[in-house]
Amino acid sequence: MGLCVGPDAWARGAECGEVNVPPTRFPILDSRFPTSGEFVFATAQYESGDWDSAPLVPSNLIDSLARYTSLPVAPTGAIVALASEDLFRFPLVFLTGHLPVRFTDAERTNVRRFADRGGMLFVDDHNHDIDGAFHKTAVEELTRAVGTLSQLPNTHPIYSAFFKFPDGPPNTSHELNGWGDNLVHSHLLAAMRGNRIAVLYSNKDYSSEWGYHPDNKRFLAIDNTKFGVNIIVYALTR
Amino acid sequence: MTAMAVLLWRAIRPPGEAGVDVVRGDLRGALARWTVAPAPEMRVVLDAAPDPRTRDWLRALARAGGSVRWSSSRPLGAAAVVAEPAVEPNGVTRVRLASVSGEAVSVADDAGAIDTLPRGGARELELGTVAGAVRASGATFTATSVARDSVVLRPVLVLGTAGWESKFTIAALEERGWRVASRVRVAPSIDVTQGPLGGIDTARYAAVIVLDSTAAASSNEIARYARQGGGVILVGNAPRSGSFAGIAPGRVGARVAGVAGAVTGSAPRTGLGGFPVSSPGAEAVVLESRGGVAMIAARRLDAGRVMQVGYDETWRWHMAGSDESAAAHRAWWSRLVAAVAYAPLVPRESGLPSIDETPLASLVDALGSPTPMPARPAAPTDNTRITWMLFMLIAVSLFAEWTSRRVRGAR
Repeated sequence: MGLCVGPDAWARGAECGEVNVPPTRFPILDSRFPTSGEFVFATAQYESGDWDSAPLVPSNLIDSLARYTSLPVAPTGAIVALASEDLFRFPLVFLTGHLPVRFTDAERTNVRRFADRGGMLFVDDHNHDIDGAFHKTAVEELTRAVGTLSQLPNTHPIYSAFFKFPDGPPNTSHELNGWGDNLVHSHLLAAMRGNRIAVLYSNKDYSSEWGYHPDNKRFLAIDNTKFGVNIIVYALTR
Repeated sequence: MTAMAVLLWRAIRPPGEAGVDVVRGDLRGALARWTVAPAPEMRVVLDAAPDPRTRDWLRALARAGGSVRWSSSRPLGAAAVVAEPAVEPNGVTRVRLASVSGEAVSVADDAGAIDTLPRGGARELELGTVAGAVRASGATFTATSVARDSVVLRPVLVLGTAGWESKFTIAALEERGWRVASRVRVAPSIDVTQGPLGGIDTARYAAVIVLDSTAAASSNEIARYARQGGGVILVGNAPRSGSFAGIAPGRVGARVAGVAGAVTGSAPRTGLGGFPVSSPGAEAVVLESRGGVAMIAARRLDAGRVMQVGYDETWRWHMAGSDESAAAHRAWWSRLVAAVAYAPLVPRESGLPSIDETPLASLVDALGSPTPMPARPAAPTDNTRITWMLFMLIAVSLFAEWTSRRVRGAR
């Protein structure tokens, strides 16, 4: 399937996994290759489930990265098929969804190679439900691909990579409202390669928390995407 | 009686023809004899380069006033082997050997065989561990060497903007065993740092890698560090910033793109984009070119070295290359750093095995060039036989005279 990029990506809906959100809400990288030195936020497209359930997260995090840092960042994100060789063009990839996740053999192999080579996969449970289909299947698949996910200590450098989060992962409004599994998850999970996070797994539903248009940040007393900046800065520096 | 005494002495101790004492094969007996009573000219015919003890013994005889000359019954192979610590943190011993005779060379250490060169030639080996000395043996020589020093490796300092290149460069060096200190810029007043940070000098860092223009404010300090003996690697368009242009091996050319898909091929760096080294200076050495364009060049700067690496997205090689690319990327970066690193040597403790890195060259150094074999080798055994025959003839004559006198009753 390859990299869904370019102005015609939306027209190639079937080829790109039936992308059904307008370009203005889910921008696509317009280049055959990311410009040298620019960070490109990539979203993983996988065969099963609803990989495109959080279309506003990329633009929101790109906005935050540009807002708080001086890092060169591509103004638009990219969608990359998990089974494609193009996956290795994006060392940080975001994966989310509500539905059961079943990796194909090619996807599983690629995820393993991706983790071994230094990539970091950030997986978020859009259901915020540890009894939900996404969590159960995604954890199972990730365990098969990269090994056991274990609790990440709240003193891990990812919580101080840019902004300081001394209490660990920031809570989301969905957790505090009691939606989903009605739990406030105190830790993230991770699969490590050496002392580096290869897969970061969240039950906190950041996909919903960060899924709004960047312009609406002005209505927030505290920008809730700051932890997203930490994740990106961590991936870029560790 | 005097004549008999002389003949007996000469028979017991043959001086050789015209005072030349020629010895073939085992030299031990001759060396002991020559030490007690040197011949006017001591000549040895070798079938292999002698071991250091024998060679030194011959040299001592020559220095003591004797004339020692040598020749060989067959061509002796010229060979050299040297073992030295690689300037890398993994404790590797780098062994370089060369043999020009065309004969098979086997490489071994005290633990056993390491490699074989069927027809000699040159070879470089990286050995994780070496038991005792490394020996390169052919039919006519045995060269030995041992790493006599160890290197002191200080951390590598990486300076740049947070990004994939800085991340994967740091990771590659760390995974190869280097200690890395880094300062990567995230925001105008925010750097992410790791490792020991301080003034840039050779007491603190083995090398400094400048990935982009963020280190421009430190360019004078880094240039001074290089002049003091430090190693500096300027990546991509970093030489355009600060005073780096004054120390770079060349100028920064216009950016070139990588060849699509080549990063997974046999020449993966052709798939990488970068800034070529334009107009290399007279003191610069181009280390890697692509299509006639220099991509890596280096120069000496007083006591230090400066390298300019055009590639500024080597992380693609690590991530998107073949299955071996990650290891190759690590090794490549490690070698770049090793090529410029300030790495003082510390002699190892005494008790190292004796070495003989260049057997034939050392023999020539000790005794001079070989002397052509004499047209007719001297035959000391013939002289000895004649001497014995004369001695016996005189003895028999004297006995006969004495017997005759006794029979005749004469006194």
